[in-house]
Amino acid sequence: MKSVVTTVVTAADAAGRFPSQNDLEAVQGNIQRATARLEAAEKLALGMDAVVKEAGDACFKKYPYLKQAGEAGSNQTKVDKCYRDLGHYMRLINYCLVVGGTGPLDEWGIAGAREVYRTLNLPTAAYVEALTYTRDRACSPRDMSPQALNELKSYLDYAINSLS
Amino acid sequence: MLDAFSRAVVSADSKNAAIGGNELAALRAYVAEGNKRLDAVNAISSNASCIVSDAVTGMICENTGLIQAGGNCYPNRRMAACLRDGEIVLRYISYALLAGDSSVLDDRCLNGLKETYIALGVPLQSAARAVAIMKASSTAHINETNTSGTNPDETRFRKMETIKGDCSALVAEAASYFDRVASALA
Repeated sequence: MKSVVTTVVTAADAAGRFPSQNDLEAVQGNIQRATARLEAAEKLALGMDAVVKEAGDACFKKYPYLKQAGEAGSNQTKVDKCYRDLGHYMRLINYCLVVGGTGPLDEWGIAGAREVYRTLNLPTAAYVEALTYTRDRACSPRDMSPQALNELKSYLDYAINSLS
Repeated sequence: MLDAFSRAVVSADSKNAAIGGNELAALRAYVAEGNKRLDAVNAISSNASCIVSDAVTGMICENTGLIQAGGNCYPNRRMAACLRDGEIVLRYISYALLAGDSSVLDDRCLNGLKETYIALGVPLQSAARAVAIMKASSTAHINETNTSGTNPDETRFRKMETIKGDCSALVAEAASYFDRVASALA
């Protein structure tokens, strides 16, 4: 799992040396930002259900055709799966905030997603709309501190860019 | 390889749950003690060659057969291999301490170590004894409780610049990684 610490350790191991001052400085920089990250992760976990529901509602509001026969949300089972997928993305973003890197999104969200969506004939634009809505809906200080919000939005943007 | 944060992520993923409340508290503790952890890693890596050579010397002092003809630290070539292995083990322990998780030590160092040593005829008891001495001296360095020992004229004895006992919470964690090595060799 990629994070600042594992990257530093992998590089040190490849060179066969003990953790150097540079390595420790890199980890220290990561630790300094960790408070904001963990705050964002906590707030996101607390509001997870509401966030997922609002994001899904936004996507079906913008693309109502999705609920027509033959489309990706043609029955309740399919609609539920859409909300479930959004829950997965939010959960992975929660993990990214904890780790302090894009490892969880890369390994469990993005790798292979394009192929899966093409095979299942799912519209990525709908996911983009849902994630964009979440990004623009989140605000500070109502939801979290500005620094935490910044961290959250950067991972939402990362997920959006991977889908668009 | 995992660190304290990705360990929490992997276990949360298996439960299909987001990370909140209780799990975050443990990670906040890692963050709050972050500088102490870096000091502890620094205490090991800055004194590495001293810790390793001291441990191997101590191991041989207790069992001088090792450096007599036919012993496992004779000739120099095998003594050098012994010192190298001591440094490798200590290096992976320093990685584990930095990451706050033993997976790097387990995957990259301990996995198959015992079998390798058996195949090469390395005495496991001696190796475990060297690790035990490294544990004693590393934890003393981290906690600043090292002393000049029985020789009052010892001038090469060295203290780090941190406050004595400041990193005591990490001593237990570092000790657990040394114990992990010892039990992997047992």
